Amino acid sequence: MSFRAATALTLAAALMGSTALAEPGAWSDEPVRIVVTFPPGGTSDLIARILAQYFESEFGQRAVVDNRPGAGGTVAADYVAQQDPDGTTLILGNNAPFTIAPTQFDSLPYDPMAGFTHIAYLGASTPALYVQPTMGIATLDDFIAYANENGITYGSSGVGSITHILGQAVDSALGIEQIHVPYQGSAPAIQDFRAGVLESYYDMLAQNRDLINDGETLPLALAAPARSPLFPQIPTFRELGYDVVIENWTGLSGPAGMDPETVQTIHDTVEAIMAMQPVVDQLAQWGITHTAMTSEEFTGFVGGTIETWRPLILSANVNGG
Amino acid sequence: MEIIAGFSHGLMVALQPENLLYCFIGVTLGTFIGVLPGIGSMAAIAMILPLTFYLEPTSALVMIAGVYYGAEYGGSIASILMNIPGTPSSSITCIDGYPMARQGRAGVALFASAIASFGGGMIGMVVMAVLAPVLAQLALNFGPTEYFAVILLGLVAASAVSNGSPVKGVAMVVAGLMLGTIGVDITTGAERFTMGIPELRDGVSLVIVAMGLFGVGELIVSIKANASGAHQNRIDYAQFYPTRAEWKAMVAPILRGGGIGSFFGALPGTGQTVASAVAYAVEKKLSPARARFGQGAVEGVAVPESANNSATQTAFIPTLTLGVPGSASMALVIGALMIHGIVPGPRLLVDHSDLFWGLVASFLIGNILLLILNIPLIGLWVRLLQIPYKYLYPTIIVLICVGVYSINNNVFDVWLTLAFGWAGYLMRLFRFEPAPLLIGFVLGPMMEEQLRRAMLLSRGDAGVFLTRPISGVLIVLTVVLLVWSILSALRAKRRVRAAMRSAE
Repeated sequence: MSFRAATALTLAAALMGSTALAEPGAWSDEPVRIVVTFPPGGTSDLIARILAQYFESEFGQRAVVDNRPGAGGTVAADYVAQQDPDGTTLILGNNAPFTIAPTQFDSLPYDPMAGFTHIAYLGASTPALYVQPTMGIATLDDFIAYANENGITYGSSGVGSITHILGQAVDSALGIEQIHVPYQGSAPAIQDFRAGVLESYYDMLAQNRDLINDGETLPLALAAPARSPLFPQIPTFRELGYDVVIENWTGLSGPAGMDPETVQTIHDTVEAIMAMQPVVDQLAQWGITHTAMTSEEFTGFVGGTIETWRPLILSANVNGG
Repeated sequence: MEIIAGFSHGLMVALQPENLLYCFIGVTLGTFIGVLPGIGSMAAIAMILPLTFYLEPTSALVMIAGVYYGAEYGGSIASILMNIPGTPSSSITCIDGYPMARQGRAGVALFASAIASFGGGMIGMVVMAVLAPVLAQLALNFGPTEYFAVILLGLVAASAVSNGSPVKGVAMVVAGLMLGTIGVDITTGAERFTMGIPELRDGVSLVIVAMGLFGVGELIVSIKANASGAHQNRIDYAQFYPTRAEWKAMVAPILRGGGIGSFFGALPGTGQTVASAVAYAVEKKLSPARARFGQGAVEGVAVPESANNSATQTAFIPTLTLGVPGSASMALVIGALMIHGIVPGPRLLVDHSDLFWGLVASFLIGNILLLILNIPLIGLWVRLLQIPYKYLYPTIIVLICVGVYSINNNVFDVWLTLAFGWAGYLMRLFRFEPAPLLIGFVLGPMMEEQLRRAMLLSRGDAGVFLTRPISGVLIVLTVVLLVWSILSALRAKRRVRAAMRSAE
């Protein structure tokens, strides 16, 4: 074999290899719709808008954000499950329609696993437990003692929301019984906390940065597997001996039956965007940690959350029929 | 002194050519979006949100705010001309605005609405500049107990909005309260009256109820009236400018409306609809012209417009200083700031004083721009009424459907609006008024939520409503108002009876 032939062969092999291993890039001539389960303006919506922006500017894939809020994200999930699996309709999924709803509702119009192609994991933020700094509580042990003696009220962002489930998880792990006061979102709960009528609440770290720095709220423990770079001084529940890990995850999924090559392209494009410095910085601002996962790992992750959260959701008694 | 320095600095920021341009774009877009029935400021802000990612945070905020209060200006136009509220809060403007248009005084009504909106906007701006920290503190002192008490007061005051039979008015408020219970119960998560329809889990949207009952209902009535040979509205082109007497009559209502509006705007969640309803109800008790309310009183147009516009300005106080958005539009404002790494909260006034004062000053500029934009347009708007009905009505129906669809991108909402339209038509046939229903619908769920939360927090002790000072005072006020209304009604009845006896 001549040198030239050998080079040609090597090149051909390299080319073939590259077609089997998808490159980040556009996957459809049509604009892609990223369905968001919330109205415009929240963190979830902003992540979708960042993705759409980078799909277009970096990879030439046109994309638009489509907000379809309602019924805890189930309206959006049901809609996406019924679309063509050609990669033009994707959903920015989270725990509400995929982790909580399957247990909360007896009948769902969609199957959270078989009805979807789970493509890429985007990241998670973690909630913490906060108490009034004036209550004489400094540690989680103080908190348990106080709760056992006087009972304690906590605010959540709603019945069946992630912070309610966390409150329930804390109840069973710490052996206490808190009084649950649901709000519509965490902002009004924090308002009542600052008004002094609420003794404690659960919420994400990033949104509470100013209040923590000003000493208006005291975080006791974080429901994450590891400490947060935002506030490394806050211990995790796990370190303190209680196995409470509840993460507010976000990922990208599509309808069931998508072409594996398209899935790979979308996955790799998303991973490439998540590695870009401006995106990394922006997500860090919002307290979201990204971990690289393959599509298979992400699918396993979603299935896993349904199982691990089920007993907590059942004990929270939020069955919506 | 600090305020004057801050404001003049803000004026410099707001007068930068770039900010001036975005302010103008915002208020113009807001006005036209507000005119279109069903498409509120939220849809418009969502549309321009991606654009704001590329702007300076101050320019972004100035433009979004312009859309927000511009829409309140525009919302009154369709209310007055066609009895179709452009935004839910301008439903109250229909009550006196539409009768004025029917009398050929549409121009005067539109002028009054523009002036009142300007007056309300200015009051809201002054309140925001002077009292923002105080009002933020006040809002912080409002726990669930206080909210319950103030909503109760609002509901009692608003029961006076009805013009016809009091029994029918109360029936409509109760119907509104019942409609408000549809959806997932916020306190327990149980579904109520959803009939297994997932779209009903979050309840019925205010826009759907307002557009259905007022907008579609009115169209069906007009089609019927037209088919039976009624003429199009009379228009008096010469008369746009209010008379001296009308100018004088508007001053006090604008001041009162602006004051009430500023207060409700600063309480997150209550919003412009409650502000204009309560302001109208109070005015109906106080005004020397109260007998003409509902029949085309210029005061009845000025009050709700002043109130809802001042509320749109002060709504920025809790949004920026507490990070608590009172409405979906305000949630978008927080989103627009978050993308620039600005977290709304107690420190925003200090850390981003440029932004805060630039916004406050832009209210002045934006409201002046709106006045310049709207007064010459009055003639154009009034001519809209000359479009033959066979073109006008289908256009409006399409606009309503598009607007309602745009809230959740869901066709179900369109069907629901049309169903409410038929309900609104039937109500009109039997002379039931939609305004009290709307107020019950807005206030009922809020009252229930706060009551149950207050009871959870007090661990079942109902005494808190009287022992906490702010709520105690509010409850006493409510009782006084109630007793006073009953007494004055009885006295009026006795007077009528005495007059009848002496006539015999």
